[in-house]
Amino acid sequence: MKRKWGFTAAAIAIAATALVGCSSQQAGKETTTAGKEETKQAEETTKAAENAGGGKTLTVAIWDKNQEPGLTEIMSDFTKATGIKTQIQITPWEQYWTMLEAGATGGSLPDVFWMHSNEISKYAQYDMLLDLTDKIKDSKTLEMDKFPKEIVDIYKWEGKKQLAVPKDIDTIALWYNKTMFDEAGISYPDATWTWDTFADAAKKLTKSDGSQYGFTVKPTNDQAGWCNIVYDMGGYVISDDKKSSGFGQEGTIKGLTFLTDLMKKGYAPPYEVVAENADEALFEAGKVAMITQGSWMLPELCNNDYVKANCDIAVLPKDAASGKRISIYNGLGWAASANTSMPEEAWKLIEYMGSKEAQQKQSDLGVVISAYEGTTDNWVKAYPAFNLKAYLDMKEDIVIRPYSKSTMVWTNMIHDKLIDAWNGNKTTEEVCKDIEKEMNSMLASE
Amino acid sequence: MNIKIKGSRRERSEFLWGWLFLLPTMAGLIILNIIPIIQTVYQSFFKTGAFGRGNVFVGLQNYEKLFTDSLVWQALMNTFKYALVEVPFSIVIALLLAVLMDGKIRGKSAWRTIYFLPMVAAPAAVAMVWRWLYNSEFGLFNHLLNSLGLSSVNWISNPSTAYISVAVVGIWSIIGYNMVLFIAGLKEIPRDYYEASQIDGAGGVKQFFYITLPLISPTMFFVAVTRIIGAMQVFDSIYMMMDKSNPALVKTQSLVYLFYRYSFVEGNKGYGSSIVLLLLVVILLITVIQMVCQKKWVNYS
Amino acid sequence: MDKSRKIRESLIYVILFTGSVTMLVPFIWMILTAFKSTSESTQMNPFIIFPGVWRKDAFISVLSKMNFLRLYWNTLVLILGRVVCAVLTATMAGYAFGRLHFKGRNLAFSLVLFQMMVPTQIFIIPQYLMVSRLGALNTWFGLLFPGLVTAFGTFLLRQAYMGLPASLEEAARLDGCNIGQTFLHVMAPLTKSSMVALGIFTALFAFKDLMWPLVVNTEQNTMPLSAALAKLQGQFVANYPELMAASLLACIPMVVIYLLFQKQFIDGIATSGGKL
Repeated sequence: MKRKWGFTAAAIAIAATALVGCSSQQAGKETTTAGKEETKQAEETTKAAENAGGGKTLTVAIWDKNQEPGLTEIMSDFTKATGIKTQIQITPWEQYWTMLEAGATGGSLPDVFWMHSNEISKYAQYDMLLDLTDKIKDSKTLEMDKFPKEIVDIYKWEGKKQLAVPKDIDTIALWYNKTMFDEAGISYPDATWTWDTFADAAKKLTKSDGSQYGFTVKPTNDQAGWCNIVYDMGGYVISDDKKSSGFGQEGTIKGLTFLTDLMKKGYAPPYEVVAENADEALFEAGKVAMITQGSWMLPELCNNDYVKANCDIAVLPKDAASGKRISIYNGLGWAASANTSMPEEAWKLIEYMGSKEAQQKQSDLGVVISAYEGTTDNWVKAYPAFNLKAYLDMKEDIVIRPYSKSTMVWTNMIHDKLIDAWNGNKTTEEVCKDIEKEMNSMLASE
Repeated sequence: MNIKIKGSRRERSEFLWGWLFLLPTMAGLIILNIIPIIQTVYQSFFKTGAFGRGNVFVGLQNYEKLFTDSLVWQALMNTFKYALVEVPFSIVIALLLAVLMDGKIRGKSAWRTIYFLPMVAAPAAVAMVWRWLYNSEFGLFNHLLNSLGLSSVNWISNPSTAYISVAVVGIWSIIGYNMVLFIAGLKEIPRDYYEASQIDGAGGVKQFFYITLPLISPTMFFVAVTRIIGAMQVFDSIYMMMDKSNPALVKTQSLVYLFYRYSFVEGNKGYGSSIVLLLLVVILLITVIQMVCQKKWVNYS
Repeated sequence: MDKSRKIRESLIYVILFTGSVTMLVPFIWMILTAFKSTSESTQMNPFIIFPGVWRKDAFISVLSKMNFLRLYWNTLVLILGRVVCAVLTATMAGYAFGRLHFKGRNLAFSLVLFQMMVPTQIFIIPQYLMVSRLGALNTWFGLLFPGLVTAFGTFLLRQAYMGLPASLEEAARLDGCNIGQTFLHVMAPLTKSSMVALGIFTALFAFKDLMWPLVVNTEQNTMPLSAALAKLQGQFVANYPELMAASLLACIPMVVIYLLFQKQFIDGIATSGGKL
């Protein structure tokens, strides 16, 4: 395919030469050389494109720049062991899926890339991913039963084809600003905290002049934010059979109303501020005292000077009535393109990344919590200044991140609609009912 | 007889050379523009599957959805509102600057350089720095307001005014461009017109309205037509300045933004096609209206 | 009389000065923020205008994360490629439209006019599918693709040719030149200023093109500056010094070129627009 347009370019160049060639001799000569140069340039471009797309280097696409240094290190071990070179490309989450879709449409997917529960079904449905089932069976180093079953299942298309190998598991914990807690005379969050304690603290941590607020959570912060309290209070986002929405459930409405009520009381920054700045940005700027964030955020938060000097981590509060302290969890998977030019090499990389050795190193380096059983003990030492153990403690009661075949579509819809609940334009209950209706119709047409 | 043969030979030669010269451009226009328009129209009758596969013919369903989709009509309104702020202000300010610089002014080229500077900045960089200036918490603008004892403004997250903030960025970016066109237009006005009117005792303001304005109207028409087409296609600044969770997004997003979101983020290229065709119809209508109205005010002497 | 004129003159300078300060504020703020630390950039009490120490941290970190040499090179290829294509094709077509009389000319020209009015977004999906079918996503050819020909340039050059006196052509014909020779040796050189104008215009808008590179070139190897900057924003949510440092690095080359070739820039833009 790639060679084809090299020819086209050459043909155009020759045609151009012929065009001008019918004029006077001298000018004809000049343009001929110009034409040749163009052809040569076109050839060079073709070559460059081939080098970028193929050769001996696997392109690896990821979306989290925080994980790049650690993964580069692990992959350099892989290169040493196998001689296969890798090159990591980072595309931020928002554009990552646009990029992948573009690649899939044009037949130029990266060789190896991260998969997510939001998107797996789309790629599976159109056979875009390399089927790993047989390869896993024959593998000596990869043991799928060492990974949490629910994460393995996300990437097992229709219960048969394994299309990705689990990479990590993420949990949620509470970040708090010690300095602000000290100033307000409140004891630090711990396992005894309920959401009511949280509300109480949020109130005390809010300053009336608007210079400091108790907490913040964006409507888009679902997994690391409002989802957890919804499940704590007995609600859910999607039913287990993935056929109906849980937004009509009492617990769901209760959980969301709890949060929006705190916002109405002014314990969180006004919605306009929240909309313009990420949760962690407000936390890093000392604007809010508490946020809930996923374990994938550690490199960002733990390396921030202000956070280092003032903040720490605790487990999420639990619900007083149900006694539940749920962390929504998810796990990415390593997948390969179905039409990669190097399926063997791609598989080798995935196999390596799923091996105990690489998973152990991933935890040791503090990149993320590895999915592989028993590799996470050293992870807590990655940032000794912080109580990372909170994240591991949160693994005790976990619920898989809500997903279905069309996760992306209804997630976007929920994010859009929640804005009205967040800024108080509509009652939370009204918004929830609206979401339920729309989500059910989306699920019905899956 | 002899002459006639010569004439027809000349005709044939002009025909051959003419099409030879047109060949690259015409081939390009057909491949790059005409075929795509036809494809876009064609695609707008389909529900497109992921990865360009599994397209299902749905007839006029996309158009039915288009006419009932409140987001689309809101986006059209937003686009109009944006254009109504950006175009007049960028023209009036640019014209004012051009007139001021038309006289004997020291450092003419230095002023011109400064006003034109935003034109050569990368639009993504422009959007990012403005977003930073506008930031309601940490931005320079709100700090200046606060230090004057005024309260903060949610520049880009207040649904009823955010489009103005975005338009200000548009104005800032384009003033220099319009100004350069006006300066060139002013240069073409013969000096003796002014001298003659001065003898008649006309002052600066009168001169502006009776000489400058009518004589620069062709340039103004050009700027207005191209700027309106440009403003109707606003995308970069909204895409870069407003997050998906911004409460003002619905009241600010333009048709092109919506098109981008539907086509490339949500993968619904069929519906995206119908949106961009709506934009085409709107732009053609506006341009036709402008062409008709130009006779009323544009002065080609 | 003299006094009121002086007042008027100084008023002009005041207006021009205030205006240019307003124009420069975003650039100044970009520079100031780029040299701050992250916490300095978000500190409110007291608000910091000038960085305490002029730090290079943000630049170092951005340069380590983004291959700016590569991005400059990609942008240069994009600009030069589009300029060469636009000037070549538009000069030829402009001559045919402006000076030659032949069957089908008006129909062809109406096609050009139509294209000028159509929003470019309408072409994006089909063009994108064409590029992807050619396997040219993430290549320079893909990047150049929509700029291979230019309706606006054709229009501009047609105007230029129409403005030339017919006597020149007659003289060339009497000298025995055919149409091609007349074009190449006599007519084309006379439209040099319009060609330069078109070149500058094309360069400027190729540099500023965002949506096309955003969908077609998603790999760092072939991505131009505009798309790389747009991607950056998603990566550093809160790190304004880094965002501003990257913006600054992205703006500098074009600003320097502009400052060096100011006259050509301004004249080029002035020639490229005016009357319909």
